[in-house]
Amino acid sequence: MLPFSIDLKPGLPVAEQILFAVKRAVATGQLSPGDPFPSVRVLSQELRINPNTAHKVIAALVTQSILITTPAIGSLVADRSPSGSRERAELLGAELERVVVEAKNLGLTIDDVQAGLVTQWKRLTRK
Amino acid sequence: MNIIETHNLSRSFTGTEALSGLNLSLTSGKVVALLGPNGAGKTTTLRLLMNLLRPTTGTATVLGVDSRRLGPVQFAQIGYVSEDQQLPLWMTVRELLDYCRPFYPTWDKELERTLVAQFELPLGQKLGRLSRGTLMKAALLSSLAYRPRLLVLDEPFSGLDPLIRDEFVRGVLEVSLSGDWTVLVSSHDIEEVERLADHVVLLDRGRLNLSEEADSLQRRFRRVEVRLQGESPEPTHGAVEWERAGDLLRFVETGYSGATTEQQWSERFAGASVTAQHMTLREIFLTFARASRSRSKGVAA
Repeated sequence: MLPFSIDLKPGLPVAEQILFAVKRAVATGQLSPGDPFPSVRVLSQELRINPNTAHKVIAALVTQSILITTPAIGSLVADRSPSGSRERAELLGAELERVVVEAKNLGLTIDDVQAGLVTQWKRLTRK
Repeated sequence: MNIIETHNLSRSFTGTEALSGLNLSLTSGKVVALLGPNGAGKTTTLRLLMNLLRPTTGTATVLGVDSRRLGPVQFAQIGYVSEDQQLPLWMTVRELLDYCRPFYPTWDKELERTLVAQFELPLGQKLGRLSRGTLMKAALLSSLAYRPRLLVLDEPFSGLDPLIRDEFVRGVLEVSLSGDWTVLVSSHDIEEVERLADHVVLLDRGRLNLSEEADSLQRRFRRVEVRLQGESPEPTHGAVEWERAGDLLRFVETGYSGATTEQQWSERFAGASVTAQHMTLREIFLTFARASRSRSKGVAA
């Protein structure tokens, strides 16, 4: 069984969907620092995806410092060090740009977006 | 090295061209889906590659060898499972495996055991008494156990129930984890292979429509809707299926590249609201199929 929730949908690229699901699991505490992360083999078998895709996902998570890999143990969920917060803010920048574009396309105001953000924040971080 | 390469590969049957001038090169280490409606030329292509058919014109190279010269050395490294596989139905599953094993120097008994258990194959049963799904699993096992460098599957999923199909996919993935190998799988149903494929090849009526990485396709295609405010813009380069109903404009963007494209739209459709949705591979292929149909209609007229 995979240690994070995911429901793959047709339409979106599979790798993107998995990346998002893992980030969400880390944000909500479903995955905690030090937790073992599934191998390429397990990801591929459990989600019935191409091992190349599984490999790509893990490599991207390592690059983004969400996972660390050790040859002996495999991948672990990384500790969130405060020094990385600037990179993380940059990472978020691209996501925020998407949100802003979507919001403008839908004709929403900055207030609508802020209210929506607060609601999502509360929904995901409540215990 | 390209594991498969074709140059102007063509095949006619009594004057009718089933495959016309196929040019294809596939690198190793990929799962390649060969897609297209029935009659598109998928089976003809695979049979040409496997030297079960001779090309009318053109050539194909498989594992670096001309397809017409493929012999035991190459076939010991190729697995081939087709929908209408001929199997010795009087043999039991065990006898089939005992029979196949000596042909393949790379036969992996450990993997054989793993797959027998995973596929829940009844070793003592005669092949002729197995259900279609179980028979296909036996055929797949006898092609996977020697870890071929190239696995060719011709419509492997048609007529299989979802559970068997799932086991089938797991079996293929099990072997694909162990290194550099290539799978070429044909299907008329995109959704069967959507998650498996790195690369898709689309055939339509004997012609190549598309050969591209699945990721790249999904990145560059968007279904776009614009709420226009009066003006009537002309189609842009890269936009197809341009349709307008009242102040709603719909099209498919084939060259989406994130913020750059969004910026172009906001300049072009000044102030209008634009929404862009990802498309499934099925939707993308339908777009290709419609484009190729309307092109050939244009030629006929």
